[in-house]
Amino acid sequence: MYQPPSLLEKWSQENNELVNKCKQQEAGGGAVSRDHRQSSLRWCSSEFHKLLRKIQGIPPHVDHSQLELAVVYNTCVCFTAQSQFSEAELLLKEATERVLQVTGNNADTSDPLVLWRAGLKSAGNTALHPHVLYLLCLQWALWLAKCQLENIGELQEQMSSLCEIVCDGVGDCSPSEAKGRLSKSPLLVMEPKRLTELLQICTSIAQGAEKLNEGRSSEALSDLQAASALPATRALVAYTHLLSGSCLAHMNRPQMALQCYKRALETDSRCVCALYRSMLIYRQLGNTQAEIQALRLLHSTLMLPPATEPVLGGIQPLSPSLLLSSQSLSRLLSVPSALSVLYSLALKCVLSGRVTEGVEHYLDLLAALHSEDQHAVDAEVSVLPRMLELYLEAGTALLFTRRPADCMAFCNEVISTTLELVPEKVVLEEPEEGIGGDARGLSVEGEDKVAMLLWAAAAYLLQGHCHTHLKDWKQAVTHYTRCINLLVKVHLKNRDFQPQIPAADVNVKHGKDLCTLQRMKGLSLAWRGISFTQMDQLREALRDLQLSLQAFPDYTGAGLWCGEVLWRLGRKHEAAACWEKTWSLTTQTSVEKLPLYLQDPQSGPLLDSVELRLRIQELGLT
Amino acid sequence: VMEGRCAVETWAQFGFSGRSYKVKILCGFGTDVLICTGTEEIYVFSKRERKITASIRFTSDASSSPAELKISQECLVVGADEVSSLLLVGSVLLTLCQRDASWLLTLYKTPKQTASTSHEEFGSFHLPVVSAVDCGAAESNRGPRKGSVLICIHSGDVEASSPSNASAESTVAQDHFHLEPLLFKLLFGVEAALAKSPVILCGLPDGRLCFLPLRLPGSRLRVLHSLEQPVCFVGASVVTETGHAQCLVAAGEQGRVVLIKTDKAGSEGGSAMAAFTEGCVPGPVWCGCMDKSCFYYSTGADLLRLDLSEGSFARESKERGEETSGMTAAALQSPSSLNVCRVIALAEPACTGDVQLLGVSARGQLQRICLPAGRVDEGSSKLPSTQVSRSVRDLLSAIGDVCERYASSVLKTVIKSKNQFLRLLNHAVSVSFLLMADTTTDLPIKEKPIRCHFETSWSRLLQKDSLSLVCFLHNSSPFVLERGWTLSITVSPLSYSSSPAGESSSTNFSFPFHDLRPGQTFEASLPIAAAGDASFPMTVSCSLIFSLSSLLGEEEVAASFAGLQSSCISLPLSTLTVDWLHALQLNSPTAAHKMATVQPSSAAADSIQTFLSSRQLRCSGRTNKGGESAAKPESEKYSASVWVSSEIVRDTLKPKKSSNLDAKESIRDPEDLYKIALSTSVAHARGPNGAAMKLTVKEVNHKEATIEVQIESSSLAAVCGLHHAVLRRIQIKARLCFFQISGAFGEVVSTVQRDRLLLSVYQELRRNPLLIV
Repeated sequence: MYQPPSLLEKWSQENNELVNKCKQQEAGGGAVSRDHRQSSLRWCSSEFHKLLRKIQGIPPHVDHSQLELAVVYNTCVCFTAQSQFSEAELLLKEATERVLQVTGNNADTSDPLVLWRAGLKSAGNTALHPHVLYLLCLQWALWLAKCQLENIGELQEQMSSLCEIVCDGVGDCSPSEAKGRLSKSPLLVMEPKRLTELLQICTSIAQGAEKLNEGRSSEALSDLQAASALPATRALVAYTHLLSGSCLAHMNRPQMALQCYKRALETDSRCVCALYRSMLIYRQLGNTQAEIQALRLLHSTLMLPPATEPVLGGIQPLSPSLLLSSQSLSRLLSVPSALSVLYSLALKCVLSGRVTEGVEHYLDLLAALHSEDQHAVDAEVSVLPRMLELYLEAGTALLFTRRPADCMAFCNEVISTTLELVPEKVVLEEPEEGIGGDARGLSVEGEDKVAMLLWAAAAYLLQGHCHTHLKDWKQAVTHYTRCINLLVKVHLKNRDFQPQIPAADVNVKHGKDLCTLQRMKGLSLAWRGISFTQMDQLREALRDLQLSLQAFPDYTGAGLWCGEVLWRLGRKHEAAACWEKTWSLTTQTSVEKLPLYLQDPQSGPLLDSVELRLRIQELGLT
Repeated sequence: VMEGRCAVETWAQFGFSGRSYKVKILCGFGTDVLICTGTEEIYVFSKRERKITASIRFTSDASSSPAELKISQECLVVGADEVSSLLLVGSVLLTLCQRDASWLLTLYKTPKQTASTSHEEFGSFHLPVVSAVDCGAAESNRGPRKGSVLICIHSGDVEASSPSNASAESTVAQDHFHLEPLLFKLLFGVEAALAKSPVILCGLPDGRLCFLPLRLPGSRLRVLHSLEQPVCFVGASVVTETGHAQCLVAAGEQGRVVLIKTDKAGSEGGSAMAAFTEGCVPGPVWCGCMDKSCFYYSTGADLLRLDLSEGSFARESKERGEETSGMTAAALQSPSSLNVCRVIALAEPACTGDVQLLGVSARGQLQRICLPAGRVDEGSSKLPSTQVSRSVRDLLSAIGDVCERYASSVLKTVIKSKNQFLRLLNHAVSVSFLLMADTTTDLPIKEKPIRCHFETSWSRLLQKDSLSLVCFLHNSSPFVLERGWTLSITVSPLSYSSSPAGESSSTNFSFPFHDLRPGQTFEASLPIAAAGDASFPMTVSCSLIFSLSSLLGEEEVAASFAGLQSSCISLPLSTLTVDWLHALQLNSPTAAHKMATVQPSSAAADSIQTFLSSRQLRCSGRTNKGGESAAKPESEKYSASVWVSSEIVRDTLKPKKSSNLDAKESIRDPEDLYKIALSTSVAHARGPNGAAMKLTVKEVNHKEATIEVQIESSSLAAVCGLHHAVLRRIQIKARLCFFQISGAFGEVVSTVQRDRLLLSVYQELRRNPLLIV
């Protein structure tokens, strides 16, 4: 009977058929959806696994070993591609042990490193050696996928020799010789040379990210720059540039970092992260125009459909994304969602005076948030502010562009949403660890009642500004009054007799609420006063302006107008004193940190400081 | 507690038996009802045909009698294991399954336009599994893994805003509920409400109720509540007219029920809060369903109904005398039994009219359960008070605004003038009522609120004597006679036979008022006649005229009330006859004051004329000597005389101060007249036509004290005129009596009173036969 060779042949043939099928499916894979690929992969892996079990059903034999290892390789590739790492690892371990059995060595260890060293040694210069190396490649891939970089470091020598052998060995063979060898040897799902190249650059990237994370920037930089010369897909090369840029940014060389990011973008135009990082650098440099430009580009890139993504790993069963899953790397590569980019863009535009543009972006953002396609998927910690704040900010932007009617519509929406939930009375306490949450009346889902109240009040304040803008003083007074009525519902409770406006470090959240409250009080009272001034109700105006100064002493508008009212009431010396005092205030209230809707409205009656000084001079003369 | 039993009608029998948690009934596919057995079959039951029309199988074994639809591999949309529940929201398919140590809610995008059947997963949410609670753990070990509940909650507003969406979803609306906006906000946050995002609510076997706003960026699966026993039903009920459910209900397997409502009264803060009312109902709960106000559930042994509507709550708590704020288990009404057992699946096909449920019994029967008609009182939907007060505030401020805006401008003056106008009109109406009351009630003239009297006087101007009449109008009413009021005096001869044109001889005088205040007197003098060309007696009638046109201003009237131009109200005040007596010019230097009037009788023509005239006949025969015939022979002088009882003169004259006769005829002082009469004086006078005449009054002691009044003149006209004048006075006196009589008839007085009055008049007449001489 001539059974064994025919069995070997049969298996070998079966293996080759399977490999061909796999490759066919992957060749046409570009068009097929991900799900389809997954299912075909699943089918392949189960078929390979069946074959492998048949082969391994008989004791290890030298003749079979080559085929067996090839099938193990194929099966493991399929398993790894499906992220079934533990199954793959188990197969690898079994295969190594069987290699040791064939070569007559005994493995009495379970430590994979020792096992591999032994396996490589025992395979020596036999025909099995390349196949064992191929399996080592897979082990490498598994370690990389599981972010066990230290194992890779341990086997550094073997790895580098492996690279030389795998890459050069195949290259060195003359075509005919190679062909002869290949015809005999069983086919493989993925070319080991390609796999090795992929592993090399991915390892460099992962290690670079790790080092960068540990703060060893310069070390990482040299590695990454070396890696950028490796043969790889554009996306991966772009990653090396990107990470180099990050290293440089870390080393405080923003311009060089920008160069690197630019290179990354030139290499791979879809490298949004590079755009994002450059934007951050522009922001850090204070180059607002460039920042806005970058934000805009970033947003439009993020809005592109991810059509070409399969190219990255379409041909290969093992994709780089599978191998680059380390946390430090993903943190470096993370890009905020399109919506939050759009928000940053809108806010930046408004703050830098490109209001019309900003309004457009705000409206786009709100439209996107309301669209049916919007879903709660991007579960990243949202950089977006709360929806109501978005409404208020958009309203403010609209008011800046002199569209008070639209602004009022937004405010109405906010009011109708919140007003029902605003409590009759709320106590804003100085925080104390632990108890704070319950005492402040958090409702079921943790929605803060104080915040609700402040939003409603802000909406009224904005409406007041709208009416001020329209010079409808009566209505303005009405809305400012509503705002004030809401604000006085907040009762401040000072535990430790701290100053009214607490130091920044007391409690960020509470401090913010308190600061918002005081500023809003100051603004609404001051503007009601100003409206009263326009209606010639000077006594009321004076009262409001003085109250405003009490609530928020730093507000120059209130100070100036207070003086103006005093002047009109004939109390000219007091007026002069009031003006002088206001001018002497060095207001360095960081406007940028305030919510947009708490900024001074840009419309409304203005007082000319020069004119006021003239008046004071005249007063001095007479 | 319910009386009456449910009507249970078995529709079909299925080929399965045994208790299974996974049997499910799906309605809302027209007349078809789908029954999922939880194994590998789905039966389609047609309500119209009353039979199972098809069964859907995933395996392809033996064929059964109804048509069988086989589902091939291609229909597989998502290959996921252990999916315990799924839900379709718009174009998103959600599945919930337990993987290892976490619950996994996965979102798939259903292909809309592409032909491909596969669904693309685009997001998933994890919630770590907590170790099952004690009783749940024991049970979950023996039975198969229990199912979860997955429903979708929409804010009430969404439906209103996108009706097209709602209609599209209505076919599979079984697991979709529209919750009242306020409760939605309270439970799921304003963000979700503002983004109009549907919220996925899932009840897990570990007792947790979790929710996920579907369309909110960055939202997480969060825990809303924990029932601490496997959740087997979640739904919303207490539907108002607007279609919003006001109560969210979750029921656990052992009968723990939580009702989530809005507590409008609120707690210490005063704002609305979500109130969680937990309670226990007799369990176990096998399955449940909801209609608009009730929760129905089956314990296996019985089918129970739990009324959730607001009214039943209030009643219940009132009966027990509890405060509603103490939301404890007691707030949950005890369920009423419906006496249907062994129901393992329930559904409420949205039908109108009486409540019907579809159930599947443990024996595999599809049953229709008709509930006995219960009370139907829906909680009336009211606007929340905060919203009302807010809108009222808005309205008030708007009103104030409008008011202020117009008050300062033209409108203010317009309103002011209108007010003024209305005030004037009001005065006018009041005045006319006063005057009309005068005519009807016959007040004594002195008490009349607006009265006028006249005086005549001769004046000499430019060698010409003229008689002028002075009219005094005294306003003692509380009203000011203002612009718009006019005193109109018409003077016309009593007999116009003399003038050929008749009416043309009458003269009209009008005196517009400017503010005749209460207590003031208006004086107007008007020339009646120049000496010589008068035709006495003449009638002076005096009336108050109120004209709209003078009030409104001419142009306005012309513009808006074209027909009103001449319209005015005329209120007669008084009428006076100016006769010869009035017009006498006394010659005697002694009597600086004017001539006296005497009382002759007259030929009256009235209804009691018969009575009077009979007397008059007798009297005149005796007393009146017939002017012309008696007088003519004596020196060409005509004379006439009248006799009258002095007592009458005294009597009638004495009370004259208060009598209304006086007011009307106050031209002569009555005391003087009496004095003149007693002193038998002789007065020489000139008539208005210049004729000299002599008036003699003397006491003739005939039978009783009688006064004779003699008139002598060379002018016949003068004698006639004066005679007429004197007679007229007497007539007036007579008429006074007559008025008394007629007044007695006119007023509705009791017969006794009337008789007495008549008697007194008669007696008076009898006592004084010379009343009318």
